[in-house]
Amino acid sequence: MHPWIPALQPLLLAAVLLWSARLKLAHPLAEAAARRSALAQLVGEARALPAYRAVGAVEAAVAVALLVPAARPLSGYASAALTTGFVAYLGYARIAAPESSCGCMSAARTPVRWRAFARAALLVAASVLAATAATGWPAALADHPVPAAALLLAEAAAVLALSAELDRHWLDQLRQLRVRLTSPLPAGGFDIPLASTVEQLHRSPVWHDTAGLLTSDLREHWDEEEWRLLLFTARHGEHTVSAVYAVPRLRYEPASVRLALVDEQTGQTVATHTATPDTPLPAWVNDRQPVAA
Amino acid sequence: MTDNTLDRRRLLTSAVVGGAGLVAASALGSLAPEAAFAAPQTIDAGAPDPNFAEGRITGIAAGMLYVTGSDTALHRIRITNATSVWKLIPTGIDAAAVGDGLYARGLRMDDGTLAADAVWINIVNLQAHIVAIGKNQLHLDHKGKRIVGHVVPGRSAVSYNNTPAVTDMSMLKVGRHVQVIGAWVPDTNEVQIATVYAGTHSH
Repeated sequence: MHPWIPALQPLLLAAVLLWSARLKLAHPLAEAAARRSALAQLVGEARALPAYRAVGAVEAAVAVALLVPAARPLSGYASAALTTGFVAYLGYARIAAPESSCGCMSAARTPVRWRAFARAALLVAASVLAATAATGWPAALADHPVPAAALLLAEAAAVLALSAELDRHWLDQLRQLRVRLTSPLPAGGFDIPLASTVEQLHRSPVWHDTAGLLTSDLREHWDEEEWRLLLFTARHGEHTVSAVYAVPRLRYEPASVRLALVDEQTGQTVATHTATPDTPLPAWVNDRQPVAA
Repeated sequence: MTDNTLDRRRLLTSAVVGGAGLVAASALGSLAPEAAFAAPQTIDAGAPDPNFAEGRITGIAAGMLYVTGSDTALHRIRITNATSVWKLIPTGIDAAAVGDGLYARGLRMDDGTLAADAVWINIVNLQAHIVAIGKNQLHLDHKGKRIVGHVVPGRSAVSYNNTPAVTDMSMLKVGRHVQVIGAWVPDTNEVQIATVYAGTHSH
Protein backbone atom coordinates (compact mmCIF):
# COMPACT_ATOMS: atom_id res chain seq x y z
CA MET A 1 0.00 0.00 0.00
CA HIS A 2 1.19 3.49 -0.77
CA PRO A 3 2.30 5.19 2.41
CA TRP A 4 0.19 8.27 1.62
CA ILE A 5 -3.05 6.29 1.93
CA PRO A 6 -2.87 5.77 5.74
CA ALA A 7 -1.59 9.30 6.11
CA LEU A 8 -4.82 10.71 4.62
CA GLN A 9 -7.23 8.78 6.85
CA PRO A 10 -7.15 11.36 9.67
CA LEU A 11 -8.77 13.86 7.29
CA LEU A 12 -11.72 11.59 6.57
CA LEU A 13 -12.11 10.61 10.22
CA ALA A 14 -11.89 14.20 11.40
CA ALA A 15 -14.54 15.29 8.91
CA VAL A 16 -16.94 12.53 9.95
CA LEU A 17 -16.33 13.07 13.67
CA LEU A 18 -16.74 16.85 13.42
CA TRP A 19 -20.02 16.39 11.53
CA SER A 20 -21.19 13.97 14.16
CA ALA A 21 -20.01 16.18 17.05
CA ARG A 22 -21.81 19.18 15.57
CA LEU A 23 -25.11 17.28 15.80
CA LYS A 24 -24.52 16.32 19.41
CA LEU A 25 -23.18 19.69 20.64
CA ALA A 26 -24.79 22.38 18.52
CA HIS A 27 -27.91 21.00 16.82
CA PRO A 28 -31.21 22.49 18.05
CA LEU A 29 -32.79 19.01 18.01
CA ALA A 30 -29.92 17.35 19.90
CA GLU A 31 -32.07 16.78 22.96
CA ALA A 32 -34.74 14.93 20.98
CA ALA A 33 -32.08 12.92 19.15
CA ALA A 34 -30.55 11.92 22.49
CA ARG A 35 -33.88 10.83 23.94
CA ARG A 36 -34.68 8.70 20.89
CA SER A 37 -31.26 7.05 20.81
CA ALA A 38 -30.35 3.81 22.55
CA LEU A 39 -28.34 5.94 25.03
CA ALA A 40 -31.60 6.68 26.82
CA GLN A 41 -31.92 2.98 27.52
CA LEU A 42 -28.21 2.48 28.26
CA VAL A 43 -27.67 5.28 30.81
CA GLY A 44 -31.23 6.27 31.68
CA GLU A 45 -33.57 8.91 30.29
CA ALA A 46 -32.30 11.67 32.58
CA ARG A 47 -28.61 11.14 31.76
CA ALA A 48 -29.12 10.59 28.02
CA LEU A 49 -28.53 14.21 27.03
CA PRO A 50 -25.37 14.75 29.13
CA ALA A 51 -24.00 11.43 27.88
CA TYR A 52 -24.86 12.38 24.29
CA ARG A 53 -23.11 15.74 24.69
CA ALA A 54 -20.10 14.01 26.27
CA VAL A 55 -19.81 11.67 23.27
CA GLY A 56 -19.96 14.74 21.03
CA ALA A 57 -17.18 16.43 23.04
CA VAL A 58 -14.98 13.32 22.79
CA GLU A 59 -15.63 13.14 19.05
CA ALA A 60 -14.66 16.78 18.64
CA ALA A 61 -11.49 16.32 20.73
CA VAL A 62 -10.41 13.24 18.76
CA ALA A 63 -11.16 15.05 15.49
CA VAL A 64 -8.95 17.97 16.50
CA ALA A 65 -6.18 15.60 17.62
CA LEU A 66 -6.36 13.79 14.27
CA LEU A 67 -5.82 17.09 12.48
CA VAL A 68 -2.66 17.83 14.49
CA PRO A 69 0.16 15.80 12.86
CA ALA A 70 2.20 15.95 16.07
CA ALA A 71 -0.47 13.86 17.89
CA ARG A 72 0.31 10.86 15.66
CA PRO A 73 0.03 7.90 16.30
CA LEU A 74 -1.78 8.51 19.60
CA SER A 75 -4.71 10.21 17.82
CA GLY A 76 -5.06 7.11 15.61
CA TYR A 77 -5.30 4.87 18.67
CA ALA A 78 -7.88 7.19 20.22
CA SER A 79 -9.89 7.16 17.00
CA ALA A 80 -9.71 3.36 16.79
CA ALA A 81 -10.93 3.09 20.39
CA LEU A 82 -13.77 5.56 19.74
CA THR A 83 -14.96 3.93 16.51
CA THR A 84 -14.78 0.46 18.07
CA GLY A 85 -16.99 1.94 20.78
CA PHE A 86 -19.43 2.97 18.02
CA VAL A 87 -19.64 -0.64 16.81
CA ALA A 88 -20.26 -1.84 20.36
CA TYR A 89 -22.93 0.84 20.85
CA LEU A 90 -24.65 -0.17 17.61
CA GLY A 91 -24.61 -3.81 18.67
CA TYR A 92 -26.16 -2.84 21.99
CA ALA A 93 -28.80 -0.69 20.27
CA ARG A 94 -29.67 -3.46 17.83
CA ILE A 95 -30.21 -5.98 20.62
CA ALA A 96 -31.51 -3.94 23.54
CA ALA A 97 -33.48 -1.19 21.78
CA PRO A 98 -34.09 -2.22 18.15
CA GLU A 99 -36.65 0.54 17.57
CA SER A 100 -34.42 3.31 18.92
CA SER A 101 -32.76 5.81 16.64
CA CYS A 102 -29.05 5.66 15.87
CA GLY A 103 -28.53 9.33 16.81
CA CYS A 104 -25.25 9.10 14.90
CA MET A 105 -25.00 11.77 12.26
CA SER A 106 -28.42 13.35 11.99
CA ALA A 107 -31.35 14.23 14.24
CA ALA A 108 -33.61 12.43 11.76
CA ARG A 109 -34.99 9.24 13.26
CA THR A 110 -32.89 6.38 11.90
CA PRO A 111 -33.15 2.85 13.25
CA VAL A 112 -29.89 0.90 13.40
CA ARG A 113 -29.55 -1.33 10.33
CA TRP A 114 -26.69 -3.03 8.49
CA ARG A 115 -25.56 0.19 6.85
CA ALA A 116 -24.82 1.73 10.24
CA PHE A 117 -22.61 -1.27 11.08
CA ALA A 118 -20.86 -1.10 7.70
CA ARG A 119 -20.15 2.60 8.21
CA ALA A 120 -18.78 2.02 11.71
CA ALA A 121 -16.60 -0.82 10.40
CA LEU A 122 -15.29 1.50 7.68
CA LEU A 123 -14.38 4.06 10.33
CA VAL A 124 -12.61 1.42 12.46
CA ALA A 125 -10.57 0.36 9.41
CA ALA A 126 -9.70 3.98 8.63
CA SER A 127 -8.66 4.51 12.27
CA VAL A 128 -6.38 1.47 12.26
CA LEU A 129 -4.81 2.70 9.04
CA ALA A 130 -4.39 6.17 10.53
CA ALA A 131 -2.56 4.71 13.53
CA THR A 132 -0.04 3.09 11.18
CA ALA A 133 0.64 6.21 9.14
CA ALA A 134 4.32 7.05 8.77
CA THR A 135 3.82 10.64 7.65
CA GLY A 136 1.44 13.42 8.45
CA TRP A 137 -1.48 14.30 6.17
CA PRO A 138 -0.17 17.74 5.06
CA ALA A 139 2.89 16.08 3.51
CA ALA A 140 0.85 13.31 1.84
CA LEU A 141 -1.60 15.87 0.45
CA ALA A 142 1.22 18.00 -0.92
CA ASP A 143 3.03 15.05 -2.53
CA HIS A 144 0.02 13.37 -4.20
CA PRO A 145 -2.68 16.02 -4.52
CA VAL A 146 -4.79 14.36 -7.27
CA PRO A 147 -4.92 10.74 -6.07
CA ALA A 148 -5.34 12.03 -2.51
CA ALA A 149 -8.37 14.10 -3.48
CA ALA A 150 -9.82 11.15 -5.43
CA LEU A 151 -9.37 8.79 -2.47
CA LEU A 152 -10.92 11.20 0.03
CA LEU A 153 -13.87 11.82 -2.29
CA ALA A 154 -14.43 8.08 -2.75
CA GLU A 155 -14.26 7.50 1.00
CA ALA A 156 -16.63 10.37 1.69
CA ALA A 157 -19.03 8.97 -0.90
CA ALA A 158 -18.87 5.57 0.82
CA VAL A 159 -19.69 7.15 4.19
CA LEU A 160 -22.56 9.07 2.61
CA ALA A 161 -23.93 5.95 0.90
CA LEU A 162 -23.80 4.04 4.20
CA SER A 163 -25.59 6.82 6.12
CA ALA A 164 -29.29 5.99 6.10
CA GLU A 165 -30.02 9.29 7.85
CA LEU A 166 -28.68 11.24 4.87
CA ASP A 167 -30.77 9.35 2.28
CA ARG A 168 -33.34 12.09 2.07
CA HIS A 169 -30.70 14.49 0.79
CA TRP A 170 -29.70 12.36 -2.19
CA LEU A 171 -31.30 8.90 -2.50
CA ASP A 172 -34.89 10.14 -2.10
CA GLN A 173 -34.16 12.97 -4.52
CA LEU A 174 -32.77 10.57 -7.12
CA ARG A 175 -35.73 8.23 -6.75
CA GLN A 176 -38.18 11.13 -6.96
CA LEU A 177 -36.38 12.30 -10.11
CA ARG A 178 -36.88 8.86 -11.62
CA VAL A 179 -40.57 9.02 -10.68
CA ARG A 180 -40.84 12.38 -12.42
CA LEU A 181 -39.23 10.97 -15.56
CA THR A 182 -41.12 7.67 -15.73
CA SER A 183 -44.53 8.51 -14.12
CA PRO A 184 -45.12 4.99 -12.79
CA LEU A 185 -48.38 5.78 -10.97
CA PRO A 186 -51.80 6.42 -12.49
CA ALA A 187 -52.40 10.12 -13.08
CA GLY A 188 -55.41 12.09 -14.19
CA GLY A 189 -58.63 10.24 -14.84
CA PHE A 190 -62.06 11.54 -13.93
CA ASP A 191 -63.37 8.41 -12.26
CA ILE A 192 -64.78 9.15 -8.85
CA PRO A 193 -63.35 6.51 -6.51
CA LEU A 194 -65.67 4.74 -4.12
CA ALA A 195 -63.75 6.16 -1.15
CA SER A 196 -64.72 9.66 -2.25
CA THR A 197 -68.43 8.77 -2.44
CA VAL A 198 -68.33 7.06 0.95
CA GLU A 199 -66.71 10.13 2.44
CA GLN A 200 -69.40 12.35 0.97
CA LEU A 201 -71.98 10.03 2.50
CA HIS A 202 -70.30 10.30 5.89
CA ARG A 203 -70.53 14.08 5.74
CA SER A 204 -74.20 14.15 4.84
CA PRO A 205 -76.99 15.12 7.24
CA VAL A 206 -78.94 11.99 6.29
CA TRP A 207 -76.01 9.84 7.42
CA HIS A 208 -75.84 11.69 10.74
CA ASP A 209 -79.53 10.93 11.30
CA THR A 210 -79.45 7.30 10.29
CA ALA A 211 -75.96 5.81 10.73
CA GLY A 212 -77.04 4.45 14.10
CA LEU A 213 -79.51 2.13 12.41
CA LEU A 214 -76.88 0.39 10.33
CA THR A 215 -75.58 -3.00 11.35
CA SER A 216 -73.25 -3.74 8.44
CA ASP A 217 -70.52 -1.98 6.55
CA LEU A 218 -70.93 -1.24 2.81
CA ARG A 219 -72.32 -4.34 1.11
CA GLU A 220 -72.69 -3.30 -2.50
CA HIS A 221 -72.54 -0.26 -4.72
CA TRP A 222 -73.56 0.63 -8.25
CA ASP A 223 -74.00 3.71 -10.40
CA GLU A 224 -77.27 4.96 -11.82
CA GLU A 225 -76.96 8.09 -13.93
CA GLU A 226 -76.12 10.98 -11.58
CA TRP A 227 -76.32 8.82 -8.47
CA ARG A 228 -74.06 6.28 -6.85
CA LEU A 229 -76.05 3.85 -4.74
CA LEU A 230 -74.54 2.43 -1.58
CA LEU A 231 -76.20 -0.52 0.09
CA PHE A 232 -75.99 -1.36 3.81
CA THR A 233 -77.95 -3.55 6.19
CA ALA A 234 -80.03 -1.73 8.81
CA ARG A 235 -82.32 -2.56 11.66
CA HIS A 236 -85.83 -1.17 11.46
CA GLY A 237 -87.75 -2.05 14.56
CA GLU A 238 -87.56 -5.82 14.79
CA HIS A 239 -86.76 -6.25 11.10
CA THR A 240 -83.53 -6.43 9.18
CA VAL A 241 -83.83 -4.27 6.09
CA SER A 242 -81.58 -2.94 3.34
CA ALA A 243 -80.52 0.69 3.60
CA VAL A 244 -80.00 2.22 0.14
CA TYR A 245 -78.25 5.57 0.13
CA ALA A 246 -78.24 7.61 -3.07
CA VAL A 247 -75.19 9.90 -3.16
CA PRO A 248 -74.52 12.43 -5.95
CA ARG A 249 -71.87 10.81 -8.09
CA LEU A 250 -70.21 13.69 -9.90
CA ARG A 251 -71.14 16.53 -7.54
CA TYR A 252 -70.03 17.21 -3.99
CA GLU A 253 -73.36 17.94 -2.37
CA PRO A 254 -73.78 16.00 0.89
CA ALA A 255 -77.13 17.67 1.61
CA SER A 256 -78.62 15.88 -1.42
CA VAL A 257 -77.93 12.41 -0.02
CA ARG A 258 -81.12 10.42 0.47
CA LEU A 259 -82.01 7.09 2.01
CA ALA A 260 -84.60 4.40 1.54
CA LEU A 261 -85.04 1.44 3.86
CA VAL A 262 -86.28 -1.50 1.82
CA ASP A 263 -87.44 -4.88 3.05
CA GLU A 264 -85.96 -7.07 0.34
CA GLN A 265 -88.13 -10.05 1.29
CA THR A 266 -91.31 -8.22 0.40
CA GLY A 267 -89.93 -5.48 -1.86
CA GLN A 268 -91.60 -2.91 0.38
CA THR A 269 -90.03 0.48 1.05
CA VAL A 270 -90.48 0.84 4.78
CA ALA A 271 -89.06 4.32 5.16
CA THR A 272 -87.28 7.09 3.29
CA HIS A 273 -85.28 9.99 4.56
CA THR A 274 -83.89 13.18 3.03
CA ALA A 275 -82.19 16.17 4.57
CA THR A 276 -84.43 18.95 5.80
CA PRO A 277 -84.21 21.64 3.15
CA ASP A 278 -83.26 25.19 4.09
CA THR A 279 -86.33 26.97 5.40
CA PRO A 280 -87.48 29.85 3.18
CA LEU A 281 -86.38 33.17 4.61
CA PRO A 282 -89.24 34.79 6.54
CA ALA A 283 -90.73 38.00 5.21
CA TRP A 284 -89.27 40.10 8.00
CA VAL A 285 -85.77 39.30 6.80
CA ASN A 286 -86.38 40.65 3.29
CA ASP A 287 -88.95 43.36 3.97
CA ARG A 288 -87.32 45.14 6.82
CA GLN A 289 -88.52 48.69 7.25
CA PRO A 290 -86.36 51.35 8.83
CA VAL A 291 -87.34 51.82 12.41
CA ALA A 292 -89.15 55.10 12.87
CA ALA A 293 -87.31 57.55 15.01
CA MET B 1 -73.96 -9.95 -13.39
CA THR B 2 -77.18 -11.93 -13.25
CA ASP B 3 -80.62 -10.64 -14.22
CA ASN B 4 -81.60 -11.32 -10.65
CA THR B 5 -79.03 -8.84 -9.36
CA LEU B 6 -80.07 -6.27 -11.95
CA ASP B 7 -83.74 -6.57 -10.99
CA ARG B 8 -82.87 -6.26 -7.35
CA ARG B 9 -80.75 -3.19 -7.93
CA ARG B 10 -83.46 -1.64 -10.07
CA LEU B 11 -85.95 -2.09 -7.25
CA LEU B 12 -83.58 -0.65 -4.66
CA THR B 13 -82.65 2.26 -6.92
CA SER B 14 -86.24 3.21 -7.59
CA ALA B 15 -86.98 3.06 -3.87
CA VAL B 16 -84.50 5.83 -3.15
CA VAL B 17 -84.41 7.96 -6.31
CA GLY B 18 -87.62 6.92 -8.06
CA GLY B 19 -89.66 9.60 -6.35
CA ALA B 20 -92.76 7.44 -6.19
CA GLY B 21 -94.19 6.17 -2.96
CA LEU B 22 -92.15 8.34 -0.61
CA VAL B 23 -92.73 7.38 2.95
CA ALA B 24 -93.27 10.42 5.13
CA ALA B 25 -90.50 11.27 7.53
CA SER B 26 -93.02 11.19 10.36
CA ALA B 27 -93.27 7.47 9.77
CA LEU B 28 -89.63 7.22 10.70
CA GLY B 29 -90.05 7.11 14.44
CA SER B 30 -87.49 4.35 14.60
CA LEU B 31 -84.86 6.31 12.67
CA ALA B 32 -83.69 7.76 15.96
CA PRO B 33 -80.31 6.22 16.81
CA GLU B 34 -81.57 5.09 20.21
CA ALA B 35 -83.75 2.55 18.42
CA ALA B 36 -80.68 0.75 17.17
CA PHE B 37 -79.39 0.37 20.69
CA ALA B 38 -82.70 -0.52 22.25
CA ALA B 39 -81.31 -3.61 23.91
CA PRO B 40 -77.77 -2.75 24.95
CA GLN B 41 -75.67 -5.75 25.75
CA THR B 42 -73.58 -5.70 28.84
CA ILE B 43 -70.02 -6.92 28.51
CA ASP B 44 -67.98 -7.80 31.54
CA ALA B 45 -64.88 -5.69 31.94
CA GLY B 46 -61.79 -7.57 30.86
CA ALA B 47 -63.74 -10.31 29.12
CA PRO B 48 -63.37 -10.68 25.36
CA ASP B 49 -66.14 -9.04 23.37
CA PRO B 50 -68.37 -11.97 22.40
CA ASN B 51 -69.63 -10.10 19.35
CA PHE B 52 -66.23 -9.73 17.74
CA ALA B 53 -63.89 -12.27 16.20
CA GLU B 54 -60.45 -12.02 14.68
CA GLY B 55 -58.10 -14.57 13.19
CA ARG B 56 -57.30 -16.55 10.07
CA ILE B 57 -59.68 -18.62 7.99
CA THR B 58 -58.98 -22.32 8.35
CA GLY B 59 -62.09 -23.64 6.60
CA ILE B 60 -65.03 -22.53 4.49
CA ALA B 61 -68.41 -24.24 4.27
CA ALA B 62 -71.75 -23.09 2.92
CA GLY B 63 -72.40 -19.74 4.56
CA MET B 64 -69.87 -20.43 7.30
CA LEU B 65 -66.26 -19.39 7.88
CA TYR B 66 -64.12 -21.34 10.34
CA VAL B 67 -61.58 -19.05 11.90
CA THR B 68 -58.70 -19.60 14.31
CA GLY B 69 -58.05 -16.52 16.41
CA SER B 70 -54.56 -15.32 17.24
CA ASP B 71 -55.35 -16.41 20.82
CA THR B 72 -56.07 -19.89 19.26
CA ALA B 73 -59.80 -19.54 19.97
CA LEU B 74 -61.94 -21.19 17.31
CA HIS B 75 -64.78 -19.20 15.80
CA ARG B 76 -67.62 -20.22 13.52
CA ILE B 77 -68.76 -17.16 11.62
CA ARG B 78 -72.08 -17.26 9.80
CA ILE B 79 -72.35 -15.11 6.69
CA THR B 80 -75.79 -14.17 5.38
CA ASN B 81 -76.83 -11.94 2.51
CA ALA B 82 -77.23 -9.16 5.08
CA THR B 83 -73.54 -9.41 5.97
CA SER B 84 -71.10 -6.95 4.44
CA VAL B 85 -67.85 -8.55 3.28
CA TRP B 86 -64.87 -6.34 2.49
CA LYS B 87 -61.82 -7.64 0.68
CA LEU B 88 -60.27 -4.58 -0.94
CA ILE B 89 -63.75 -3.88 -2.30
CA PRO B 90 -67.24 -4.66 -1.00
CA THR B 91 -67.67 -8.27 -2.08
CA GLY B 92 -69.19 -11.56 -0.99
CA ILE B 93 -68.21 -14.71 0.84
CA ASP B 94 -67.00 -16.21 -2.47
CA ALA B 95 -63.97 -13.93 -2.21
CA ALA B 96 -62.84 -15.48 1.08
CA ALA B 97 -60.00 -17.99 0.93
CA VAL B 98 -58.38 -20.31 3.44
CA GLY B 99 -55.41 -18.51 4.97
CA ASP B 100 -56.99 -15.06 4.82
CA GLY B 101 -57.02 -12.97 7.98
CA LEU B 102 -60.25 -11.34 9.07
CA TYR B 103 -62.10 -9.21 11.55
CA ALA B 104 -65.78 -9.92 12.06
CA ARG B 105 -68.43 -8.09 14.05
CA GLY B 106 -71.90 -9.47 14.67
CA LEU B 107 -74.02 -11.17 17.24
CA ARG B 108 -73.01 -14.28 19.18
CA MET B 109 -75.78 -16.87 18.87
CA ASP B 110 -76.76 -19.46 21.46
CA ASP B 111 -75.09 -22.23 19.43
CA GLY B 112 -71.76 -20.40 19.66
CA THR B 113 -71.64 -19.16 16.09
CA LEU B 114 -71.13 -15.49 15.38
CA ALA B 115 -73.84 -14.22 13.04
CA ALA B 116 -71.72 -11.64 11.26
CA ASP B 117 -72.97 -8.16 10.42
CA ALA B 118 -69.70 -7.12 8.87
CA VAL B 119 -66.52 -8.94 7.89
CA TRP B 120 -63.27 -7.32 6.81
CA ILE B 121 -60.85 -9.71 5.14
CA ASN B 122 -57.10 -9.03 5.20
CA ILE B 123 -57.66 -5.37 6.06
CA VAL B 124 -54.58 -3.51 7.28
CA ASN B 125 -53.97 0.08 8.30
CA LEU B 126 -50.31 1.11 7.99
CA GLN B 127 -48.47 4.25 9.03
CA ALA B 128 -45.43 4.24 6.80
CA HIS B 129 -43.25 6.34 4.60
CA ILE B 130 -42.60 5.94 0.90
CA VAL B 131 -39.04 4.79 0.19
CA ALA B 132 -39.44 4.23 -3.53
CA ILE B 133 -42.06 4.23 -6.25
CA GLY B 134 -42.16 1.63 -9.04
CA LYS B 135 -44.58 0.80 -11.82
CA ASN B 136 -47.94 0.76 -9.98
CA GLN B 137 -46.10 0.06 -6.74
CA LEU B 138 -45.33 1.96 -3.58
CA HIS B 139 -42.38 0.64 -1.60
CA LEU B 140 -43.12 1.45 2.01
CA ASP B 141 -41.01 1.48 5.14
CA HIS B 142 -43.21 0.37 8.02
CA LYS B 143 -41.35 0.39 11.35
CA GLY B 144 -38.15 -0.52 9.53
CA LYS B 145 -39.71 -3.31 7.49
CA ARG B 146 -40.22 -3.09 3.76
CA ILE B 147 -43.75 -3.47 2.43
CA VAL B 148 -44.77 -3.41 -1.21
CA GLY B 149 -48.08 -1.67 -1.86
CA HIS B 150 -49.70 -2.58 -5.17
CA VAL B 151 -51.84 0.01 -6.88
CA VAL B 152 -55.03 -1.58 -8.20
CA PRO B 153 -56.05 0.55 -11.18
CA GLY B 154 -59.61 1.79 -10.86
CA ARG B 155 -59.76 0.83 -7.17
CA SER B 156 -56.86 2.45 -5.36
CA ALA B 157 -57.46 6.05 -4.38
CA VAL B 158 -55.57 8.82 -2.62
CA SER B 159 -56.84 11.46 -0.28
CA TYR B 160 -54.44 14.42 -0.28
CA ASN B 161 -54.58 16.65 2.79
CA ASN B 162 -57.93 15.14 3.83
CA THR B 163 -59.68 16.26 0.65
CA PRO B 164 -62.05 13.83 -1.11
CA ALA B 165 -60.23 10.84 -2.57
CA VAL B 166 -59.10 10.84 -6.20
CA THR B 167 -57.59 8.19 -8.46
CA ASP B 168 -54.67 10.45 -9.43
CA MET B 169 -51.70 9.09 -7.46
CA SER B 170 -49.05 11.14 -9.21
CA MET B 171 -48.64 13.59 -6.34
CA LEU B 172 -47.26 10.94 -4.00
CA LYS B 173 -43.60 11.61 -3.28
CA VAL B 174 -40.65 9.50 -2.20
CA GLY B 175 -39.71 10.20 1.41
CA ARG B 176 -43.19 11.33 2.50
CA HIS B 177 -45.25 9.85 5.28
CA VAL B 178 -48.52 8.15 4.32
CA GLN B 179 -51.32 6.16 5.90
CA VAL B 180 -52.38 3.17 3.81
CA ILE B 181 -55.60 1.20 4.13
CA GLY B 182 -55.32 -1.96 2.10
CA ALA B 183 -55.76 -5.68 1.78
CA TRP B 184 -52.82 -7.74 2.93
CA VAL B 185 -51.72 -10.57 0.62
CA PRO B 186 -51.45 -13.45 3.14
CA ASP B 187 -47.94 -14.64 4.06
CA THR B 188 -46.17 -11.97 2.04
CA ASN B 189 -44.98 -8.43 2.69
CA GLU B 190 -47.38 -7.11 0.07
CA VAL B 191 -50.66 -5.23 0.29
CA GLN B 192 -53.16 -4.16 -2.32
CA ILE B 193 -53.91 -0.51 -1.80
CA ALA B 194 -57.45 0.65 -1.12
CA THR B 195 -56.84 4.21 0.05
CA VAL B 196 -53.72 6.24 0.73
CA TYR B 197 -53.93 9.28 2.99
CA ALA B 198 -51.12 11.66 2.17
CA GLY B 199 -50.04 15.21 2.81
CA THR B 200 -48.51 17.28 0.06
CA HIS B 201 -46.62 19.64 2.35
CA SER B 202 -42.98 18.89 2.99
CA HIS B 203 -41.85 18.53 6.56
